[in-house]
Amino acid sequence: MFERVKNWFKERINMDDLPFFRTPDYMYHVGDWLGALVAGAFFYTVISGLILLLYYNPEAGYEATQTIINKVPYGSVVLYSHLYGAYAMIILAYIHMFRNYFVGAYKKPRELVWILGVLMLAITLGTSFLGYSLIGDVLATSAVDVGAGILSSMGLGFLVPIFFGNYSAGDYARVLGLHIIFVALIGLLFIVHFFLADVQYGMMPSRKVKDKVPAVYPKAQWTKFNPWWPRNFIYMMSLVFLTWGFILIVPNLLVYLNGLPQIANPFLNPKPAPPPNSPAAASVTTYPPWFFLFLYKIADFPATLTENIVIGVFIPLIYLLIVPFIDRTDELHPLKRKLFTWIGVVMIVFLIQTSLWGDLAPGVPVTWSQVFEAYLPPAIISAVGIWLIPPPSKANYKALVNPLTMLGFVTITIMFVGSVFEIMVSPSLSSVVLVGLFASAFVTLGKLLSPYITRTESGSVEKASISGNESKLIIKKNIAEILMIVLMIIAIVIAANMWTIPTTGYFSNLFGVDLGILFVIIGEEFSLYHYIVYKKPVEPEE
Amino acid sequence: MPLKFRLGKDVKGGLSYQDYIYLKRIVQAFRLHRFDQREFARKGEDYLFNFVNKNVGPVDEKRRKFLQGILVGVSAALVAGIIPGLRVLVPPVEAISGFPKTLIVDSSGNPIKASTLPVNSPIIMLFSYPLKDEINFLLNLGDKDGKPVEIPATTVIVPQTGDKYQFPGGVGPNKSIVAYSAICQHLGCEPPYIHFYPPKYVNTAQISAPEPDALTAEAVLAAQKENLPGIIHCDCHGSTYDPYHGAAVLTGPTVRPLPAVILEWDSSTDYLYATGYVGVGVYPTGSNGVPSKDPSSDLEESQFGVSVGNKSSISESNPFS
Ligand code: FES
Repeated sequence: MFERVKNWFKERINMDDLPFFRTPDYMYHVGDWLGALVAGAFFYTVISGLILLLYYNPEAGYEATQTIINKVPYGSVVLYSHLYGAYAMIILAYIHMFRNYFVGAYKKPRELVWILGVLMLAITLGTSFLGYSLIGDVLATSAVDVGAGILSSMGLGFLVPIFFGNYSAGDYARVLGLHIIFVALIGLLFIVHFFLADVQYGMMPSRKVKDKVPAVYPKAQWTKFNPWWPRNFIYMMSLVFLTWGFILIVPNLLVYLNGLPQIANPFLNPKPAPPPNSPAAASVTTYPPWFFLFLYKIADFPATLTENIVIGVFIPLIYLLIVPFIDRTDELHPLKRKLFTWIGVVMIVFLIQTSLWGDLAPGVPVTWSQVFEAYLPPAIISAVGIWLIPPPSKANYKALVNPLTMLGFVTITIMFVGSVFEIMVSPSLSSVVLVGLFASAFVTLGKLLSPYITRTESGSVEKASISGNESKLIIKKNIAEILMIVLMIIAIVIAANMWTIPTTGYFSNLFGVDLGILFVIIGEEFSLYHYIVYKKPVEPEE
Repeated sequence: MPLKFRLGKDVKGGLSYQDYIYLKRIVQAFRLHRFDQREFARKGEDYLFNFVNKNVGPVDEKRRKFLQGILVGVSAALVAGIIPGLRVLVPPVEAISGFPKTLIVDSSGNPIKASTLPVNSPIIMLFSYPLKDEINFLLNLGDKDGKPVEIPATTVIVPQTGDKYQFPGGVGPNKSIVAYSAICQHLGCEPPYIHFYPPKYVNTAQISAPEPDALTAEAVLAAQKENLPGIIHCDCHGSTYDPYHGAAVLTGPTVRPLPAVILEWDSSTDYLYATGYVGVGVYPTGSNGVPSKDPSSDLEESQFGVSVGNKSSISESNPFS
């Protein structure tokens, strides 16, 4: 029966024949699939946004937000995960971009893919800002004030009504419209970006295969790799579902963490602040959303605002757009492109540093000497470091930190804090059972998840003997199979529990946590299935 | 990395990696777990199959099916978990299951004092009850000299159906305070087109006044005939209601009286409360001119608005220029 349904679809869709890039065995690790993670976050955010669109009223933004949170069944789950979907998309887009920057993926023939990607990041930030403004709380309104102020001080005041319409009068229709229009734009650019990257040029081969520009597999060669169906599909599903799981789990757990210190608020608090005209608003230190904290701090620099913005935003943006045309060597190794690697490192360091600075001292003016004190040391240290490391002949750069593992670790830590807190707040039997369930599921997951999706093993055992690898692999596959069964049982228990969670109120966010766990489980099931069925003891870089 | 066989000059490919591993394990098993050839000769294929199953692990195709079954199972669990979440698509509908007891307050939130309510005021005083969109007049009725008049309980007739219902009469220190729906029962005109005409405006001079202050000759005539000091008149099509007798129909085109708010006066505080509704239903059920026996049943099905809650504030406007 199942077989027949599968075949029916197979015949209709012909997934074997899709023109997408066929992937060599060694590329099934997350570093090569970061774009899929960004796309996964994008689709989640679009879907949750469409649900919110059914309830949002741009003429009463704050009240509509409160209604969604308090009255709409599971409205807060959708709203908070929409916010974190956007957060995830921004973080993953940065990771995706910088990873491709360091491996030189912007080089010939992928210049256009790169430029589209940079534009998409800029539009994503703009879209997120507009979406954040739709909440209409004191933070959103002050962020819009700052944004409008920056625009008009740069002589771009005519853009204020174009972007924000009648925002200060409480009419957010324009912001809502642009928010959606920008998303549509991202979607369109995504299609082009995806087709260029996946159909036209294919993914970048490992440097062991090609360490010089142009880094492409000839089409004749890549047609021999694993077809898109089923292996790519299964691997992609595992990544997308894991992303969705974290997007749901993190904010819906953070809801239960009350009284975060003020400095953690811009990063971790999914709840809206009080409305701007309420007495409570007076006691709130205003800060922009975390992805614009860097901009907020740059505005505090001693030069004129326009100069600050040009230095802090336009120069980096233009640099990223034209870097394919400046970095013209045919070298791909980061240590053979030391200047550009250094610029990339400095950009990341400055971005994080300025954001944190903006978080710790929002709106506090700084002097030039403070600016130099803050920015010179990391620039010098990274420069010395990069120039001292000799470029290896055959590099092994796999030790690059795996973003998904990092995300997983962070989440698991938050899970623990959250669940302990949950017990403290409501020490009922059901909460203990629930928390026990979450905790054990995630301890198990946390231990087992990382080795399967990261590439650490295949990288480190490559030199070991084939037969040794093989028997180890068989044992691991058996463990993985047992894990699949265990996870299925947990999934069924959780799914049953989800029918009992109230639709609104304090406990309703547990629905989001449960749904997130289900997504993580199914993502993990796909990952394990992929591992058991397709993993080979040695996956040489052909 | 398919395995290749060399047969003479031909290179024959074909064995997939999975098959190769499997084959290799079978060969290993043959060596490790004594393969009984006599048994094989006797039982044939079955023996071979069992032997492989036992010593090598399930055949990959079978194992794969099993794993796919787990994937399907977890997907089913995911779907089962999402189903209760689909309630997110059901909008929360604000409906009230009964009439709230609502204190009538002025625009700054202070309760209206019944004894200070102006008599025969030309000002339109409106409050919402029981839903936010349902507006009602608040009237302190008096005679031609501006003295409050006691409004007795009356039986009101609905011309449309001939049905009758009981209007409870006025409240307040002089039993002169009443409240009626401010939505004309003819076609739904609202203030300022429909409003109260105090005695000094009920005369022939008003026939030539501009909208929304005009009275029809018919209305003036009817008022004089019944000796009514004031009337409620709708300027849209000329319906006239008798506020002194439960807002009964005085002139058409309306065929239904205005529904009345049941008021309660707290003599110790002098506050006024709205506690219910009588008359023909303004809500979907019973709107055919049949007075509702249980008006709250209409409310349950009403999706027109949000309950006013326990306070409703008066808004004032003057229709007369
Ligand atoms: S609507 Fe009032 S008379 Fe027609």
